[in-house]
Amino acid sequence: MNRNYIFLTILMIILAAGTVFLTMDSEPKQIEPEELLQEIIQPTRYVSTDQVAKMIIQGDPSLMLVDVRSEEEFAKYSLPRSINIPIKNLLSDGNLGYFGVPGTKVVFISDDDIKADQMWVFVKRLGFGSTYVMKGGLNCWMQTIIDPERPSDDAPYKDFETYTFRKGAQMYFTGAGADVPDASKIDVLVRRREKTNIASGGC
Amino acid sequence: MGPLIPNGIIGEGWDFVIAILIGIAFGFILEAAGFSSSRNLAGVFYGYNFVVLRVFFTALIVAMVGLMYFDYFGWLDLSKIFILPTYVTPMIVGGVIMGLGFILGGYCPGTSFTGIAIGKLDALFFTIGLYVGIFGFSLAFPLFEGFYDSGALGNVTLTDVTGIPASYFALAFTIVALAAFWGTMVIEKRVRKNMKQYKF
Repeated sequence: MNRNYIFLTILMIILAAGTVFLTMDSEPKQIEPEELLQEIIQPTRYVSTDQVAKMIIQGDPSLMLVDVRSEEEFAKYSLPRSINIPIKNLLSDGNLGYFGVPGTKVVFISDDDIKADQMWVFVKRLGFGSTYVMKGGLNCWMQTIIDPERPSDDAPYKDFETYTFRKGAQMYFTGAGADVPDASKIDVLVRRREKTNIASGGC
Repeated sequence: MGPLIPNGIIGEGWDFVIAILIGIAFGFILEAAGFSSSRNLAGVFYGYNFVVLRVFFTALIVAMVGLMYFDYFGWLDLSKIFILPTYVTPMIVGGVIMGLGFILGGYCPGTSFTGIAIGKLDALFFTIGLYVGIFGFSLAFPLFEGFYDSGALGNVTLTDVTGIPASYFALAFTIVALAAFWGTMVIEKRVRKNMKQYKF
């Protein structure tokens, strides 16, 4: 027997057995860097606090709020219907399963937009679409929805519209009482069903 | 880093140049391994020479295990490698026809060219037959086009089909190959004892 054959046989078995211990596919799939940069410079990922409030109030089923702050901060205060995925837990506990669900819009929330932006970049890099960042984060939420500032009297009508909506949202989220301005008269439109003469079924 | 051409490290125009270089190397190794002799090749069937099995199995397990390490070290992205699509029944039938031709003619397509390169007449006739066969197949292709495309599984690997990690297959194939090396050596010795006139 040739000694080289014995040596080569043993070497090959060791090398092949070694492949069993290699951790394959440990890296998740990622999009190309150029594509990611293209996406990062787009401002379209931002949604305003007003839009988020509107979607929560309307009970939009496609909305998923993801709070990226730590568990303690999340326990202290969080938006209704939001779930907590701290940035460091993104890849663990099957958290990636929340993203890329067809027909859902994921909105990231943090104290400001920095952490939420970071999370957005991570998730985008992993190739998931339909992800957004709440502009200004919870700080902006407090200023605009929880404690909206009354616009000055000479502000454009649009500002007042926003203010009215925010006051309504404030009531929705905090249960604060409505302070109805004296001068405002709200026309209540009552829609009556039109009478119809068409017989609707029957025996 | 790799694969080099899909990742744009080497321009696409270079693929034919690389093909020629690999082809020359492949032909040289085939000839060096003794594959230009139809006796060596047919020896697998009669049990007196298993060099074909040993050479091809060695190439297979070294390439297989090597690719897995390359993937692990990040030198080659295995997910970007082209995988030949699988057609189950046509491939089995094709394999049987190929094996029959191999044992009848004493060559496979690649080795017949190395045979021509060193001036073997049987290899020349085999190659003429090869081209006649290709021509006949092309003309008759509409007859078995349906069968040719049947049983398509797409570009699947054993891991895709079974869910067992590739490294287990690599280990199993390596053990089978190494067992075959040592087993065939024993067979060779026994068969050669009873042979009187044979030159390698």
